[in-house]
Amino acid sequence: MAALTVGLGRLGLPERGNWRPIATYISSKPCRQILNRSSMQLALEPASLSTAVSYPREGYSRPIPLFAIVLVALAVHGPLLLMQLPAGSFDTNFHIFFASHYAHHWFDPWNEKWFAGFSQTTYPPLTHQWIALLSNVFGLKMAYMVVQLIGVLLLPVGVFRFARIWVDDRSASHAALGSVFLGALAFLVYQAGQLATVTSAALYLNALPYFYEWMTEASGGSLIKGIVVSWTAAAAHHVTLIFGLVLFAGPVLWVAWLDARDERVPGSVAGVISRAMIFALLVGAGVAMVLAPYWLALIQHPIHQIPIPHDSRANFLLNSITGINYFVIPYGALILALPFIVIRGASSPRLRPLLIGFWITFIFGLGGTTPLPRLLLGRAYEILTFERFTFWATLMAMPIVGVLVVELMDRFHAKAAAGLALAAVTTLGAALWWLAANPFRPAGTTDVDPVIAFLNRDGHDAFRYITLGFGSELAKVSTYANAGSVDGDYNSARLLPEMTHYGSAQLTNAKFYGSSGMAALRAMLSHANRYGLKYIFVHDPYYEPLLTFVGWRKIETFGSGQITAWSKDDVPPAHKMESDAVPAPWEGLLWGTVPMAVSLLAIFLELLLPVRRRIPVPVEVPARAEQPYVA
Amino acid sequence: MKFVLPIILVAATLVLMALAIFGVGQSAGTVGIATGSAVPGLGSKADTSEQALGSFLTDIRRRNWDRAYSALSKTSSVDEPSFIQEWTGSNGSLRTFSTLETYEARPLHATSDDAQMRVRMRWTTPVGPVEDVRDLNLKHEGDVWKVVWPKFTAPTVPAQVIPVNYLRWDLVNGGADDGWGSRNVDAPRVRIISMNAVDSSEGAVVMGEVVNEDTIPAFVNVNATLVDGAGKAIDDESSFDKIAHVLLPKQVSAYRIDFPNIGLKNVKNVRMDVKATLVPASADPVIGVMDQKVDPDAQGKSVLRGQLLNESGQTVNIPHVIASFYDNNGRVIWVSDGYVDRALLPQTSEPFAVEIPKTLASKVQNFHVVVNQYSLGKS
Repeated sequence: MAALTVGLGRLGLPERGNWRPIATYISSKPCRQILNRSSMQLALEPASLSTAVSYPREGYSRPIPLFAIVLVALAVHGPLLLMQLPAGSFDTNFHIFFASHYAHHWFDPWNEKWFAGFSQTTYPPLTHQWIALLSNVFGLKMAYMVVQLIGVLLLPVGVFRFARIWVDDRSASHAALGSVFLGALAFLVYQAGQLATVTSAALYLNALPYFYEWMTEASGGSLIKGIVVSWTAAAAHHVTLIFGLVLFAGPVLWVAWLDARDERVPGSVAGVISRAMIFALLVGAGVAMVLAPYWLALIQHPIHQIPIPHDSRANFLLNSITGINYFVIPYGALILALPFIVIRGASSPRLRPLLIGFWITFIFGLGGTTPLPRLLLGRAYEILTFERFTFWATLMAMPIVGVLVVELMDRFHAKAAAGLALAAVTTLGAALWWLAANPFRPAGTTDVDPVIAFLNRDGHDAFRYITLGFGSELAKVSTYANAGSVDGDYNSARLLPEMTHYGSAQLTNAKFYGSSGMAALRAMLSHANRYGLKYIFVHDPYYEPLLTFVGWRKIETFGSGQITAWSKDDVPPAHKMESDAVPAPWEGLLWGTVPMAVSLLAIFLELLLPVRRRIPVPVEVPARAEQPYVA
Repeated sequence: MKFVLPIILVAATLVLMALAIFGVGQSAGTVGIATGSAVPGLGSKADTSEQALGSFLTDIRRRNWDRAYSALSKTSSVDEPSFIQEWTGSNGSLRTFSTLETYEARPLHATSDDAQMRVRMRWTTPVGPVEDVRDLNLKHEGDVWKVVWPKFTAPTVPAQVIPVNYLRWDLVNGGADDGWGSRNVDAPRVRIISMNAVDSSEGAVVMGEVVNEDTIPAFVNVNATLVDGAGKAIDDESSFDKIAHVLLPKQVSAYRIDFPNIGLKNVKNVRMDVKATLVPASADPVIGVMDQKVDPDAQGKSVLRGQLLNESGQTVNIPHVIASFYDNNGRVIWVSDGYVDRALLPQTSEPFAVEIPKTLASKVQNFHVVVNQYSLGKS
């Protein structure tokens, strides 16, 4: 407390408890210098003021430079990505498969390698197209790692900028640093391989401050940049933007409205609301155009397939290992901060919107542990997976966690720094340890090269194939084999009735979907002749009895018997399957140009058009300080 | 608001969690991956026989063997390894590939001290879902109910030498052909000797018998195409697993081809197509079918039951029974099949049962059983 007083005194601030003169003070030169560091500074938040001005002589009392945070992110995640750690994740091969198609057929999103033909316009293309572009230099796998690294590096920048809407620079910088070590980030990058989710979230967090600035300051530059970055985020992952509108943008709109109502920002309440509507309209119209082929595909073929089970929808309280996988590992040490997040979030009116947004996202991240997601989402509940909500919840918590870090550092100095560092490293370390320890881990060590070689020789690519027990390696086989498959590691584009009529995902993982999965597999095998399905590659003896009884014979063994090839003699060569889902040429052209163009425009705007920062000039301040935050 | 909001959020979270635990918003998960147990205090209790059995079977489904074993009555005379093996199977049997997916239990008899429950268990297996009905006894011990588990005694046979003198046909391809069977030899002569198309509750069914008339073994697939009045194909399907694909010389197998959701009223013609390929085969292992009879099972359904006797010295991991049923004119009126979930050890027998549709049970005058088999490493 004494230190705080000293700090306030040095800046000519009134002592705690007597805040009325602060309105006069805030427009004075010293204060403007402080606030000038951030247009988002919470000039009226006692916490912000205290953390911004206390202990000026201590090295860790200043915000950590953003460049340093990005370097930390590079130091932590760069080597892991260079080691290609995500290569064994669930979705990495899927993303590389999509990128491979763009690398060969940039303007033709119809891909015949899965499901006897499907449209890649069913998934936003931006990250895949960047991988395809960079693959000319790095090769497909390393290009994936580079794009993922860019997403990971953009994330702390986004968290920092997002956090500055709510807290001071110093807290925001700690929030950004903390985001580098998030268990949920490691989970998504290294275990789930959700490249698009991570990249889109990072972009979206970078767009939100522009949204706030546009609403409160009517800054035209912010409007343009906010819209273009939002379009880019949508081009990377549509689901993030759709839910982000409610979960992230909702609280930002709310706080802008509060700031306008309390005259902490120049804009009026009506101005904030009307500018928010303009922003939403422009973003909506742009997203409709950027992803037009996606929306057309969705309208033509709405997702009617039988729901596919996913463990993120389980009740974590009744399934302890699922709970560890989807709650303990992603949150890590943040679990210890939950009480602080709730109490501090509720204490400050400006943080309440963030707290409410966090809580809703948190509840959604719990999947089937509460009935709320099912009640609110209806049928969409059975289509979505919920680990991404946990990731978003951790991102939303970071600004308040930043405040916690600052308070702990101010109170316990080096001890706090050591403890927090330990907590951060433990969280990340646990997520990396869990990669090998969890029962959900994908079988990513199979050598599928002999399978690819088999399919690419002696005219075997005249027929279709499936794999059984390959997990995410199916996408790797598909990337490099010329033959097509009736299976695919992607649920949204499936139109074959043998797959959509059963509550099962990939045929290669059929056994994990119980009777539904095996029924889907049986249905496909019974129509093998129809699809030219001649070859089956088995990496799990579980499927051998079925193949034996339904008339397939083992013809070859690869890799010391780990993989066997099975064949059926009377299968005719595969023929092209007629489909009404083939995108029109103009859709291919749009798909191949607009998303990439939007992302290039966003880069151009960020680099070459800096937005003029304005200092909020508060008019009214609280007569009394709230609970002091620094002892 | 400073104090009220945290209380509201925490209370709302707890209420929502409680609602989910008590049944709202339950979702199915994947199968066969350990998902762990309930957090202590949230698992179901064994205050009633139904709860005890439910909790026991949930642990079986999740493969929480220690917890399941601890739910057994002290009067059970089974040790834990034997108990686990009974659920997980042995000798590469179908049960070793199976996972308990769902179950239904209903009481048959109950007093304050003991109860008998009939459990219908649905297993997911590589060859499709398999149902198993079992009667379980429960005892009230202390303030909880426990499951009484009888000891299973595996069949044992004396050590012996079994001479193998059955025929075997090997193939020499003479080239680096990746295909199986022979490409340079005429296909075996195989003929469909009967065909009957009927409507069933699930769609049209085409069935009959096929014979290998050759002196070499054949790998057989029967396909059928339903044709409408205009000569246009309505649907085509294959015999899939309702046939013994490998036919030794002169061997006959029943086949059944299902056309789900299609009625025969629109069908003018059925085009049959049998494809045969020469394959290596062996008459061993020989499996005898004994004590066959048609009678009702515990659920009142008509079933053909009997015993399979493995007369060879090899283990048959998964036996598959295909039964054809004939009316008094000798016409095939139905073909049923079923898998036996225990391995058929050398010189031992296992029971089997295949269902007959209620509407046809009274018309059955005769039946014929063919046994197909899967043995590990011999596909």
